[in-house]
Amino acid sequence: MEEIKIGVYVCWCGTNIAKMVDVDQVVDQIKFLPDVAVARNYKYMCSDPGQDMIIRDIKQHHLNRVVVAACSPRIHELTFRKALAKAGLNPMMFQMANIREQVAWVHTDREKATKKAVSLVHAAINRVKWHESLDKRTIEVNPATLVIGGGVAGMSAALEIANAGKQVYLVEKSKKLGGYAAQLDLTFPHFYSARQLIKPMIRHVEDHKNIRIFKPMQINQIFGYMGNFQSTLQLANGDETKLKFGNIIVATGLQPFDPSEITSYNYGKLPDVVTSLEFEKMLAKGRIETCEGKEPKNVAIIHCVGSRNANYHEYCSRTCCMTALKFANQIRSALPESNIFDLYADMRSFGKGCEELYTQTSRKNVIFLRFDQQNGLPEIRSTNGEEAVSMLIEFTEQFSKEQVEVPADLVILMVAMESHADAKDISHIAGISMCGNSFFIEKHPKLDPVATTSDGVFIVGTCQAPKDIPDSISQAKAAAARVLATIHVGTIEVDVITATVNEDICCGCQTCVSVCPYKAISFNKEKGVSEVNEILCKGCGTCGSTCPTGAIRSRHFTDQQILSQIQGLLSPDNKFEKM
Amino acid sequence: MDFEPTIVSFLCNWCSYTGADLAGTSRMKYSPNIRIIRVMCSGRIDPTFVLEAFKNGADGVLLCGCHPGDCHYQSGNYKCLRRYNMLKKYFVQLGIRPERIRLDWISASEGKQFANLADSFTETIRHLGPCKIKNVIETYT
Repeated sequence: MEEIKIGVYVCWCGTNIAKMVDVDQVVDQIKFLPDVAVARNYKYMCSDPGQDMIIRDIKQHHLNRVVVAACSPRIHELTFRKALAKAGLNPMMFQMANIREQVAWVHTDREKATKKAVSLVHAAINRVKWHESLDKRTIEVNPATLVIGGGVAGMSAALEIANAGKQVYLVEKSKKLGGYAAQLDLTFPHFYSARQLIKPMIRHVEDHKNIRIFKPMQINQIFGYMGNFQSTLQLANGDETKLKFGNIIVATGLQPFDPSEITSYNYGKLPDVVTSLEFEKMLAKGRIETCEGKEPKNVAIIHCVGSRNANYHEYCSRTCCMTALKFANQIRSALPESNIFDLYADMRSFGKGCEELYTQTSRKNVIFLRFDQQNGLPEIRSTNGEEAVSMLIEFTEQFSKEQVEVPADLVILMVAMESHADAKDISHIAGISMCGNSFFIEKHPKLDPVATTSDGVFIVGTCQAPKDIPDSISQAKAAAARVLATIHVGTIEVDVITATVNEDICCGCQTCVSVCPYKAISFNKEKGVSEVNEILCKGCGTCGSTCPTGAIRSRHFTDQQILSQIQGLLSPDNKFEKM
Repeated sequence: MDFEPTIVSFLCNWCSYTGADLAGTSRMKYSPNIRIIRVMCSGRIDPTFVLEAFKNGADGVLLCGCHPGDCHYQSGNYKCLRRYNMLKKYFVQLGIRPERIRLDWISASEGKQFANLADSFTETIRHLGPCKIKNVIETYT
């Protein structure tokens, strides 16, 4: 066996790491460990000079293993693996120690943080000794795409891909395409008719030769991995159809918040308190009226219903403020003599043309009143016919600090956007994660807001976060471009971190067969041993930890690698020496 | 000197390790006694890893996986739960306090929960004092 030569690099990450971890001390502590040939620290290991330093050392010192102590491997593992490959080393001969997210940023005692960093680096050095060269597997990308959800986002993505000449399977749960946007009357800030925007889009999608629509249809299971997914759909006539596709775009959309949770608004009890969506339908019908069919004299609009309040949702739903201004404009045109009260917490008019809409609306005799969204939600009560108006809204106005009563014949609640009730199921089916408030998590919140941690699965529209129509379409088209890029290249390379069986020591107990969630392990009766199907194996390693004889190796997470990592972590040599 | 426990923590890649990273990006502070080892799935945590940690001087071992029903690999966390329950019984026979091992669920968005868990588990182990199993093994083998 060739002599092991390890290069160890400790990153300062500017002051991010260096402020809390004594990087010189870390290098001093580990440089005498067996097999460490080079140990250095540098300002930014991920920078070009940092990577060049590694490449140069590999060539000059004939290194065959590399350890970088820096940020989380979730951020830069790939960067450094590529640097290894550039230097002619197998990229798997690399291990990262996370001393930023899991040391420097979370601890306050420099001595203890440094000692912990030494332990983590020692563990990585121990582990990397047992790393082995693994080849990537090249797989072909199926050129078809599955789009889940037929709203604006889903349809935009589908059209973009179909127009490029590629097959799209569009699955919609309801009977109609168009989603939430199809239920709107006009859109902000330009007052385009939503129907006039959406209808041609639906027609394009329905007529497109490259789009096959399944509705009403629910996806129950998806098998496979990036490039080669498949699913079986149960058609209404009882038949089944098997679909194969290389990428998935999730566009499951939103659902409106149910305001009956907020008792002070009396939604569901007072018939003239309606949600923004119900008001859209009223506008679409062409007549603003109370439940008794009368023209309302006083109309009140309440913002932030279910948004920006820890009791409901902490996030801002982004579209309600501008929709409220749109309503005010529509009410003013339809009922020129009415009183319009806009009860808001903060007016959020970001985005192109939105601040202009606010200015324009403020000149239309709309009375803006500010309430306290945290401690002073308005109370809507009925006058029981004792006054000229049917309802009164009571709250403390925040500029005057005065208790006010606003008369209302019709109240519109600007309800929050929530992720769809099906999001949880879809997250399991598509193998993606949700953040605390049930929207799907993107791969990186800034640098990769369209992809997910599951390769080949993208999230677009309001299933990722509340957003308006143009933002949904931008995201959808971005995802479509990503999908088309993979189809264009035609193949992808994947890491082979699958399980493998040592047939000589497999005793044929089949425990591994029983624990594999992907049915990737089968029993070969002739040989009396288990066999792993590497296409189906996703490398979770649960078979490895259940095998009684140690016949199964979880590649890149072998027993030997992890055990030596533990030994390094707990080595009595890990210490901090006061200089 | 106060007893500073050494704790080894095995975290699954998809939920818990990401949650621990989030604690970092959010600059939450927790005790430096926890040292993390990443595995792809909590189902990969072989009981021998836990025993190896105690054999090498760990005072406590913390296992974290995705919440029930949320496992990236469908059911690895349930297998981890079974092994955890088995280990606790086994610990009693070995003479290790079963409180020295803990399994909890941390999702990718639960940075705060991870920081709190790290602190509360550290306090539990601090209260139990050093684990002597390493000395026992060194004396009798």
